[in-house]
Amino acid sequence: MIKVKEVSKSFGEVEVLKSMSFTVARGEVVCLIGPSGSGKSTMLRCVNGLEYYDTGFISVDDMKVDVRSKEIGSVRAEVGMVFQRFNLFPHMTALENIIEGPTQVRKRPKPEARDEAMALLHKVGLSHLANSYPSQLSGGQQQRVAIARALAMKPRAMLFDEPTSALDPETVGDVLSVVEELAREGMTMLVVTHEMGFASEVANRVLFLDHGEILEQGPPSEILKNPQNERTRDFLQRVLHPGEKVL
Amino acid sequence: MEFLENARFFMPMLLEGALVTIQIAFLSLALSTVLGLTLALMRLSSLRILYVPAVTIITVLRGVPILVQLMYIYFVFPEIGIELSAFSAGWIGLGVAFSAYHAENFRAAILSVDRGQYEAALSIGMGKVRLMSRIILPQAVRIALPPYGNIAIMMLKDSSLASTITVAELTRSGQLIASSTFMNMTVFTLVALIYLAMSLPVSALNSWLERRFSAK
Repeated sequence: MIKVKEVSKSFGEVEVLKSMSFTVARGEVVCLIGPSGSGKSTMLRCVNGLEYYDTGFISVDDMKVDVRSKEIGSVRAEVGMVFQRFNLFPHMTALENIIEGPTQVRKRPKPEARDEAMALLHKVGLSHLANSYPSQLSGGQQQRVAIARALAMKPRAMLFDEPTSALDPETVGDVLSVVEELAREGMTMLVVTHEMGFASEVANRVLFLDHGEILEQGPPSEILKNPQNERTRDFLQRVLHPGEKVL
Repeated sequence: MEFLENARFFMPMLLEGALVTIQIAFLSLALSTVLGLTLALMRLSSLRILYVPAVTIITVLRGVPILVQLMYIYFVFPEIGIELSAFSAGWIGLGVAFSAYHAENFRAAILSVDRGQYEAALSIGMGKVRLMSRIILPQAVRIALPPYGNIAIMMLKDSSLASTITVAELTRSGQLIASSTFMNMTVFTLVALIYLAMSLPVSALNSWLERRFSAK
């Protein structure tokens, strides 16, 4: 479904992605973990064509992801993206946020899009807040609307960029359970996350990135419980036991 | 008492001038808004063929006094075959001159919209035109409104510059009456009061718009 082949990218002198290759199969959930600056968010943004990559090749469902191509808009429409800071449109209600893509990009009739949007709001548990503006919603609620907005495009795959990093701890669970539900329904997902509990429960595979390279990958039971690479061990130690001193 | 009596006598002539002032202000505001938005979007473009002319035009318009620009349109343009009436030269000249200020205001407002909004719009497959018209501009309007109101009031007052190219607007009417009656105090006090009275509704309209757009 998602193919990343020998993708490299530099910001000036700094090489943020070093010939990275991986695939995500249909219905698979892959988590990207790693320290900040490891290139995991950049990698994710390249998959959605929000960021250029210098060399290599990325495709989603055999559509090439190329920022310079004229078809990049239609490729992006097929790939749902959820951002760390939600990025809901503040001048539109929750419902209007969700139908914006279907009506404006897909040219669907409004009543139809509205019905589907209500169904999606119900799915994320927010049908009672359809007419609220983003500023009236909590972070967790905004993020669930953002997920519904991405799903309204009926995407072939979903990308999540640290979807819970900007949330209050008590609302993290609501968002993660929506993502878990999607995983159960067989949505193909690529998730950048710091939630190791989520990764170990939902991911089929975990990729550990550091300095723009995949250092280790495998099922979460292996990577998270029994990492082989020293830097992976170091990182997990710090994330899972933040209070303890690392020798 | 004498002031009121004289005022009653001069008022009809001054109000005729005020009507011309309103027409000039309104037409030049409309023109400068459209031109300003166009220049702002051109300047924000990544295409050299759009932003280089935009930067050049804005620099020239801001660097040359508006008075000189008006003289240029009214006195120099006929020499290259473009003849405009004083009234047209007035509102077109002011509209063009002020478009530079609107452009800079609009540009700043557009730039202050969060990057994440562009990315969210792109991620649902929007193209550039829809991204601008549906997502960015509606948010930029709210930010641009307070300075926009300021510029609008400046334009109302600076329409008096058109008096120098013989447009019979409020200031010129005042000058004509004063120079024939020598009642400078009465006439120019009235002129000042009429300008003030015209600027109040503009302020009120703008604060109403600001409230409307920030309600969400």
